Amino acid sequence: MKKIVSLFLVLVVSISLLSGCASTKESSQDGPLKIAVAFPMTGDNAEYGKSFLLAAQIKVDEWNENGGVLGREVELVSYDDKNSGDEAASIAQKIVSDPEIIGVLGHFASGVSMVAAPTYNENKYIEISNTASHPDYSSIGDYIFRNNSVISSEFGVIEDVLVNDLKLSKVGVVAIKTDWGTTAGDIAADIFGNNPSLTLVGREDVLEGSDDYSLAIAKLKEAGAEAVIGVGMYSLLAPLAKQYKAVDPEIQVIGLSNAYAQQLIELGGEAAEGIIFPVSFYADSTDPAVRKFVDTYTEEFGSEPSALAAQAYDSIGILLEAVKQNGSTDRESLRDTLNAISYPGITGETQFDEIGDASKEYTKLVVKDGKFIRFSDVSGK
Amino acid sequence: MILQQAFNGLALGMAYALIAVGYSLVFGILRLVNFSHGSVYAFGAHMVILFVSYHFGLAPAIILGVVLTGLLGILIDKMALSPLRKKNSPGISSLITTIGISYIIQNLLMMAFGSEKKTFPELFPSKMITIAGAQVSSMQIVMFIASVILLLVLTLLVKFTKIGLAMRSVEQSEKIASLMGINTNFIIAFTFFLGGASAAIASILISGYYQIVYPTMGFVVGLKAFAAAVLGGIGLFHGSIVGGLVIGVAEAIAASLFGSAYRDSVAFIILILVLVIRPAGLFGKKGIEKV
Repeated sequence: MKKIVSLFLVLVVSISLLSGCASTKESSQDGPLKIAVAFPMTGDNAEYGKSFLLAAQIKVDEWNENGGVLGREVELVSYDDKNSGDEAASIAQKIVSDPEIIGVLGHFASGVSMVAAPTYNENKYIEISNTASHPDYSSIGDYIFRNNSVISSEFGVIEDVLVNDLKLSKVGVVAIKTDWGTTAGDIAADIFGNNPSLTLVGREDVLEGSDDYSLAIAKLKEAGAEAVIGVGMYSLLAPLAKQYKAVDPEIQVIGLSNAYAQQLIELGGEAAEGIIFPVSFYADSTDPAVRKFVDTYTEEFGSEPSALAAQAYDSIGILLEAVKQNGSTDRESLRDTLNAISYPGITGETQFDEIGDASKEYTKLVVKDGKFIRFSDVSGK
Repeated sequence: MILQQAFNGLALGMAYALIAVGYSLVFGILRLVNFSHGSVYAFGAHMVILFVSYHFGLAPAIILGVVLTGLLGILIDKMALSPLRKKNSPGISSLITTIGISYIIQNLLMMAFGSEKKTFPELFPSKMITIAGAQVSSMQIVMFIASVILLLVLTLLVKFTKIGLAMRSVEQSEKIASLMGINTNFIIAFTFFLGGASAAIASILISGYYQIVYPTMGFVVGLKAFAAAVLGGIGLFHGSIVGGLVIGVAEAIAASLFGSAYRDSVAFIILILVLVIRPAGLFGKKGIEKV
């Protein structure tokens, strides 16, 4: 009896395995072409997920108005990863078991993306992250792409701001304590520490969600910092600026591109004035393609898109353009097409290098009178 | 520098102490660790920004916020904890239930207000005051005074009023208290109301200082405040205040000596040390169970 049962079980398992194979190979040619969007839709970072989904949907709508791609309608399938690695791992399994899906836009945090990436890569599903900036993310595999700046290049721009524009030398770094934050903090410390015209006076790691940065600030102030770089989102930068300027109004606060959000000004108020950061996308641009996206987005969302949302919009554009140029959804050739493509998007000309990183052009922005404006307009350069 | 960090630590500790008082209050009367306190704290601040956005004015918004948060405390008790008490469930079920409630409140707040960080209005224009070379914000001083007042009011209430007497008798034995003609349901509801209201007062003061509000704002501070309450001897108000201050100052010292990276583990290292050496907390007496 036991033998029969075990034989039966073996049979069931092997059939289910085979059927799994069959379904991944065959994909219908007339149904909609699906792209998965995996971001936090609930939880602490839900605002980002919702904004990226909207940006992606705007791009998809544009394509569908023009007849879709390869004669097929494009459809987004949204998943909620709650910005957690555990959730992302199971979502990745779900996505790769759906043969209709050609690629994934996601995930939000670098750490979460890096948990899911091996699954996508193994199953030849293209993953494009519009947010991950961890240096190791894109080298996980051939199918893993990054349409965001690598963090080290952003620090290069900040270095330039400090040395050439502001002529400040004593720099402090405050980084959030996450996988991404500590890695980025290390890179910042390395870059600023090795620049002969800059002195790194302190590097402090803070827990996001504790909201009190006075202890780190007192240390940096004591060390004589002239500029402080906040390695984190607007949620770090706004209170950091506020608390630092309360004890030292002269401090120059500098952020990264992911601080580019309206909430920075809302939360920071007066203290947000003068914050400088590099961005790959500027919503106030006069470019008609940018205007069109910004207007549609603002109407739906109620506030202007961030650089990351613009990158989500462009990422979908690149993927669909690659499908169009490739002429089929064959995963291997699609990957090669995507790697060779040069895409003129609203975040500049995007081209992936051999490990799947897009290089970005930066604009320096500064907060002035409650608005984001180009730094060059203020400094007269 | 040391003095500055000590002041920063005291201000931080005051924030923990304010929240810790709420843990102690409910524990002192009901012997229940109420882990929903952190979320109730976040609820209070959200109610205030809600009323402020409807142009109620800051003072009425604060009063409404405190009262509503107190009512939320009663609601939590009536919906989830009171049925458990009636069935004589073990204490652990109530504790787990409060964790569940904490998540429910947090997620409801996210659905209603979104998860992004919102600004909290400044309670009054804050100024920096220099004391012996260290800078202190006037808001920090107000926080300090407010928590001392809160402590005094709660202590007087529990020790010297009729309702306080009833609360203490419920603590000793709910059954016998009800036999003595005390409306125990009312007393328990009142305790939860006070717990909720104290959470709201804490969140208004702390949000007024940091000017930042979001649904998960009570998580990290809530845990540290719990550590503070246990450190001082849970159930004792003055223990909570001292516990909060000890943790705040310890964090400040750790941050300046070893770097901010070590700051957040310090609260819990101290907690473990104290529990090993004095299991009942700094001020706690060994419990004598009267039978």
